Amino acid sequence: MDVDEDGLEGPAAATGNRDLLCAPSASTADAPQLQRATAAFVCRDERFRLEKRTYDSQYAPIYFCRLEIMTPMLLERVAQGWPGVPVSKILDLPEGQEVAVVGTIYKEMKLKPSILDEYNKERGLENLTGRAKLAAPDDTLVLEDASARMALRGDGCPPGPLVTGVVAAVRGAAAPGGDFDVKAVLFAHLAPQPERPRAPPGPAKYVALLSGLGIGEGGDPARLALAVEYLGGFLGGATEQAMSAQVVRTVVAGGLLASSQALEAPPPQGGAAKLRQPALSLGPLKEADMVVAQLAAAMPVDVMAGAADPANQALPQQALHACLLPNAAAYPTLHRVTNPHEFEVDGVAFLGTSGQNVADVLRYSEGDDAAEALTRVLEWGHLVPTAPDTLAAYPFAADDPFVLRACPHVLFAGNQPEFATRMVTGREGQRVRLVCVPRFCDSGTLVLVNLATMAVHPITFDASLEA
Amino acid sequence: MSHLQMRARGPKGGEPPMKRGGGSGGGSGSGAIDDDMVEAHFAVEPEGLDIDDEDQHLQMADIDVDLGEAGRNWERPLPPPLDPRSDSITFQQLEVDYFVGPPNAHSLQVHRTDLHEVPILRMYGVTEAGNSVCAFIHGFEPYFYVEAPMGFGPDEAEALSRELNVKLAARNARGGRQSRFCMRVELVQRQTVMHYQAARSRTFLRIVVATPNLVAQARGILEGGIFVEALNTTRAFLTYESHVVFALRFMIDASIVGGNWVELPPSKYRLVPDADPARVTHCQLEAHVHYASLISHEPEGRWSRLAPFRILSVDIECAGRKGCFPEAEKDPVIQIASMVTEHGSAKPLVRNVMTLGTCAPIVGSEVMSFSSEEELLKRWRDLVVETDADVVIGYNICNFDLPYLIKRAETLEVSTFPFWGRIRKSKLRVRDTQFSSKAYGTHDWKEISIDGRVQLDLLMAIQRDHKLSSYSLNAVSAHFLGEQKEDVHHSIIADLQAGNAETRRRLAVYCLKDAYLPQRLVDKLMYMYNYVEMARVTGVPMSFLLTRGQSIKVFSQILRKARQRGLVVPNIKVHGGNPADGVAYEGATVLDAKQGFYKTPVATLDFASLYPSIMMAHNLCYTTLLPKDRLREVPPEDMIRTPSGDTFVRTCRTKGILPEILEELLAARKRAKADLKAATDPFVKAVLDGRQLALKVSANSVYGFTGAVISKMPCLEISSSTTAYGREMIEHTKKLVTAKYTRANGYEANCDVIYGDTDSVMVHFRVASTERAMELGKEAAEYVSKTFVKPIKLEFEKVYNPYLLINKKRYAGLLWTSADKWDKMDAKGIEIVRRDNCLLVRNVVTTCLEMILIKRDEEGAKAYVRRTIADLLMNRLDLSLLVVTKGLTQMAESYKVKAAHVELAEKMMKRDAATAPTLGDRVAYVMVKGAKGAKSWEKAEDPIYALEHGLPIDCQHYLDHFLEKPLSRLFGPIMKNPKDLMSGDHTRSITVAKLSKQAGGIMSFAKVRPTCLACKAPLEGSAVDLCPHCRPKEAEIYARSLGTVNELEAAFGALWTQCQRCQGSLHQDVLCTSRDCPIFYRRKKTQKDLAEAHAVLARFPDW
Repeated sequence: MDVDEDGLEGPAAATGNRDLLCAPSASTADAPQLQRATAAFVCRDERFRLEKRTYDSQYAPIYFCRLEIMTPMLLERVAQGWPGVPVSKILDLPEGQEVAVVGTIYKEMKLKPSILDEYNKERGLENLTGRAKLAAPDDTLVLEDASARMALRGDGCPPGPLVTGVVAAVRGAAAPGGDFDVKAVLFAHLAPQPERPRAPPGPAKYVALLSGLGIGEGGDPARLALAVEYLGGFLGGATEQAMSAQVVRTVVAGGLLASSQALEAPPPQGGAAKLRQPALSLGPLKEADMVVAQLAAAMPVDVMAGAADPANQALPQQALHACLLPNAAAYPTLHRVTNPHEFEVDGVAFLGTSGQNVADVLRYSEGDDAAEALTRVLEWGHLVPTAPDTLAAYPFAADDPFVLRACPHVLFAGNQPEFATRMVTGREGQRVRLVCVPRFCDSGTLVLVNLATMAVHPITFDASLEA
Repeated sequence: MSHLQMRARGPKGGEPPMKRGGGSGGGSGSGAIDDDMVEAHFAVEPEGLDIDDEDQHLQMADIDVDLGEAGRNWERPLPPPLDPRSDSITFQQLEVDYFVGPPNAHSLQVHRTDLHEVPILRMYGVTEAGNSVCAFIHGFEPYFYVEAPMGFGPDEAEALSRELNVKLAARNARGGRQSRFCMRVELVQRQTVMHYQAARSRTFLRIVVATPNLVAQARGILEGGIFVEALNTTRAFLTYESHVVFALRFMIDASIVGGNWVELPPSKYRLVPDADPARVTHCQLEAHVHYASLISHEPEGRWSRLAPFRILSVDIECAGRKGCFPEAEKDPVIQIASMVTEHGSAKPLVRNVMTLGTCAPIVGSEVMSFSSEEELLKRWRDLVVETDADVVIGYNICNFDLPYLIKRAETLEVSTFPFWGRIRKSKLRVRDTQFSSKAYGTHDWKEISIDGRVQLDLLMAIQRDHKLSSYSLNAVSAHFLGEQKEDVHHSIIADLQAGNAETRRRLAVYCLKDAYLPQRLVDKLMYMYNYVEMARVTGVPMSFLLTRGQSIKVFSQILRKARQRGLVVPNIKVHGGNPADGVAYEGATVLDAKQGFYKTPVATLDFASLYPSIMMAHNLCYTTLLPKDRLREVPPEDMIRTPSGDTFVRTCRTKGILPEILEELLAARKRAKADLKAATDPFVKAVLDGRQLALKVSANSVYGFTGAVISKMPCLEISSSTTAYGREMIEHTKKLVTAKYTRANGYEANCDVIYGDTDSVMVHFRVASTERAMELGKEAAEYVSKTFVKPIKLEFEKVYNPYLLINKKRYAGLLWTSADKWDKMDAKGIEIVRRDNCLLVRNVVTTCLEMILIKRDEEGAKAYVRRTIADLLMNRLDLSLLVVTKGLTQMAESYKVKAAHVELAEKMMKRDAATAPTLGDRVAYVMVKGAKGAKSWEKAEDPIYALEHGLPIDCQHYLDHFLEKPLSRLFGPIMKNPKDLMSGDHTRSITVAKLSKQAGGIMSFAKVRPTCLACKAPLEGSAVDLCPHCRPKEAEIYARSLGTVNELEAAFGALWTQCQRCQGSLHQDVLCTSRDCPIFYRRKKTQKDLAEAHAVLARFPDW
């Protein structure tokens, strides 16, 4: 897999681009009539949508399905990568012979918080102090197949970058005492990729990726207003307007609100309080509704829920309820979608999340490079490996919808601390554009993806006057 | 064929002398102690054993064949070649017992006698190289003493011997071939241990008999009166040391203490060669020796190590029928997991599980599958023999696992099964016994005799040594190892067994884990070190420690000490009497507690080892006690009158043996502690720490020994004098301290003694700084100490700041031992660890204490209580906080009053016999709302049932019966009327769970109409969520419902993944039903609540 750090297009940082703040051309007459470009759109969210829910099932089926679905992929990789190495189940491990074993990784971590800590004062306090990073040098790995587990050791498989839930093939031999000495490890790698259709003639079209609007907490509302106006085509000179007219779709990858706390009722103090429950502060939500409505008035908009948004938190997050965005919901161009969200625009396949998967991988492994983590996710062949272990997820009874069964052309993650992108090339020539969409409220940046070239184009807005 | 009749302990006639339980402790039992010390009659069975030699050898050969892959690591290392003429055998002995058989088996002439049967001791142990040894010790004769009548000479003794022999012969007419019973009566110079005796010695008769069981008979005859020719009259004798069990007698006389190293010197022993038909044990080395040739090493220096003995940890699984606890007569044993660990090594040598029916392999463990239970049992028997364990451990093995296996083998008629003791042809025996002791309470248990293998049931050990809220293996491992244990209910076990190789593997993994936990507990709690050291310090075999009370340990030390001084211990008849009215003397005093919340430092002055030091200081002992009628024998300056009015002689006359024992114990403890500080090797450290602990416990139990009414040597004069001194000293301390630390004497304030317990006095110096309080404490301790007789010493150890004194024996505070930082929160007698409370009480009390003491936020604590009460009344608390568990120990008929958990168990039995708790299970329940005036036992309900049927919790009951008392107590010193916490605004609003159809009763007839999610108004028309009035607030109401969903989703994820981690598998469903686990109910409740919360959310139509 090759990773290409380049592929940026246009001005990388448009900070201080005075042009944007110019009033539209003085005379409207000489301005060309701009028509917003359109593109074919197919939503592929069915497997993330949960109409009927039951909670009778535990989490074992998800892992079981994950292993079932991914084992053939890994066996293929083993046949290519380690020709001639026999594949064994953990239970049938021969002693002293080198074999390959396919199974789910479980990472033993001392710092992993446990709900039992609530009952154990000392540890509980320690965890409450909030550690961003839970990986430690003494973490160890266990590999589990359908019937048994074994401890992994050896340098062939350092625990650092790995997380629980990844399906992997390990090569090595059983050591006396039941441990497995790992020489090398293989992951599912990139799944087959549908061919990207040739871009239609004419100017390139763009999909805008936006996330982390962070409405409701300080922030800089002016900057967001600028971005919305820009996308709506109300901003900048002819070049900017021509460009924004080519944006066929905006995807809000989670993070409408700064925090969900605004919506949570404060814990009632004493019994009488219940009767006079304070009204929820719905201000930020109303504001978000306005922003989304404005966008939806201009073009099709997909709104995904994020970690702090008023939707259920367990993955897959379901679409925001219409009553929360009454104005925006009135537009047929508003698509309230699930997180993760998978779709095609003019045949270009997008798949992305509001960023919880990347954050959780970073929390439970070494390194703090989001693009790197997203690359690993792709290489592992699983969008959210740490669900359900450390990331809440619905207990699917007969499927694991997060397995990357096909390789998207664009893989994105919202709510990242900063913008980053990579072009990843797979063994079979798959080319995947990775995009870490930064939190807009922190960076003022949205990202345009060129559907023809797969180039990305970050645009940063700055409404401060000093610059 | 061997002519050696090893079956000494007949299955009926024989009661094993060593493995006896019984109320030997300072007991409250029936007073049957006397009998306990009686040697049982040993039936000597001729031939006709269950298996003969050939069969035995054949079996052993078979084992080697199918050992195969699995058993490679089973056997012990081969012993090095040994030349008895030049090499000695040195081993750590772990167990001593004896049998009665013909002397000098085969041609091994180690002891010449004309007797047909003699007692032969067997000592089992392990050499440093890890080889097992059984030494047969010949030539030690049972005996006891009586006082010689005046003018008794050798001829009179001879005559008495003859008379006794005749009497004994008459009683043992059926005994057959024995030629003599009373061997001889010797004249010896001894003195009684009772009361001060001016004369050093007088003549005693040492009566030597042929076999140990004759001791009791001879004693009976002598005590009952025997015709004495010399006096020409019938006379009854007081016997001395006639109640010492034979093995202990031997150990005392040979200076052997439990678990010490013993040497058989070169050319003094005879080795039985490997293949010799005379071999009777499974030990690697078998030697015969005369008792006089034994060398016993004192457990010091290089002889303080522990041998690498082998510990076998066992767990079995049985397939019970639905709804019944497994019974050995009916239900098969389906799996046996065994772990063999060499002491001192971190990992087990052998991890084996034997399964009935196929079982998929388990990484790192040997799996052996069998198609029949008989084969399984036989193979396991062989495993025990091959791995040759010295110690057998497990959880509840004495009452469940081992008896079950034996019973099961009996039912299946596997006659070769119960032979896994170390004596080849000796069958295992099971006997019901009761252990009752003042210190440990009464426990019923099954006594199993496994020759040469020590049993240590972790359940019994932990029940004895630790006060826990629950003793399930889960609770115990959570407490000591900090992990939850998966718990598979026995009703599921049968299903797993009936499945396939995979499901049986699942069970096998579980079974292996359960076998490993006891080993880990042993390691964590350092049981091996502590028990061996306790045996060494007190001189009793290790097996006594678990099966007997405290008193045998003290008794053993008294006997040893008395022997050194030429003293003998009389067998005092304990006069029946009701143990309830036994305590005829006044106990320790407790100074009245001045209730309050002290926000400035309170110093604690402790008497170091109070009772032992009093006994030492005032020479209190059996040997120094001067009876009231003999006061004139000693000049007054040589006497001490104790505050209780008893008189003892001073050390110038004679030094008591109890003070001497205590001095030695405390000196040894000092040494051990000093060595501990200096030691670096962790194993040495463990040994030393075990020793100092054993020494401390032993020193403290001496006082109890003299005070226990039903004991071997009660002497209330000693114990009441001791406590009287203690009381006096506490009062004295109080007087001195309050007189000295006054403003008038230049101190900051007038101090106040606010509380005094048995051995400590709490002084409130009324100074602000902890440092100053420590200074004053140290000073006061030294000042008061000077006024006491040595070695009594008042020590300053700690300061409490702040200190919440509730009443006698109930207090809490932050403990400081240095002025910089507090060490911990210390609480006594407060509901933190009461077992029959629900978690709610523990949590609330703990949190309040923390808020009051650590954060010093009294108002915060009150607010917290009010909030919790409001949460309780509004049904917002986690159900698992409200669950109460109680063990179902007897069926309903046996309980006199109706008990909630018993009634509930019956109710559950009627609902579904398969999952209902049965005898031995723990019953968990919550209190649900009942009809008006319902008795509280009627309100108990299975938490799962209550959950599933939406039964409302009786919150008021929890408030009134669980929370009120502890909270009133806790807040008593802080606020005027703590009851205010339990009433007021926050208790006015009460939420009761909506009754659902499943709740039955009237609800099954009710028709449910949808109501508005916000205002509960019935809905009209097609709307299913909100009424028109509430519609404008839709987003808000939706967001609120969402909050609930999110809380539950997060909890659901955290809970179920935790269970996955606990069971150690991602791909298999969680089966655990551990009701002791704090998240068991929560996980179930979250599952249900989450589905409901999502259903509510789904009622909002999305357009």
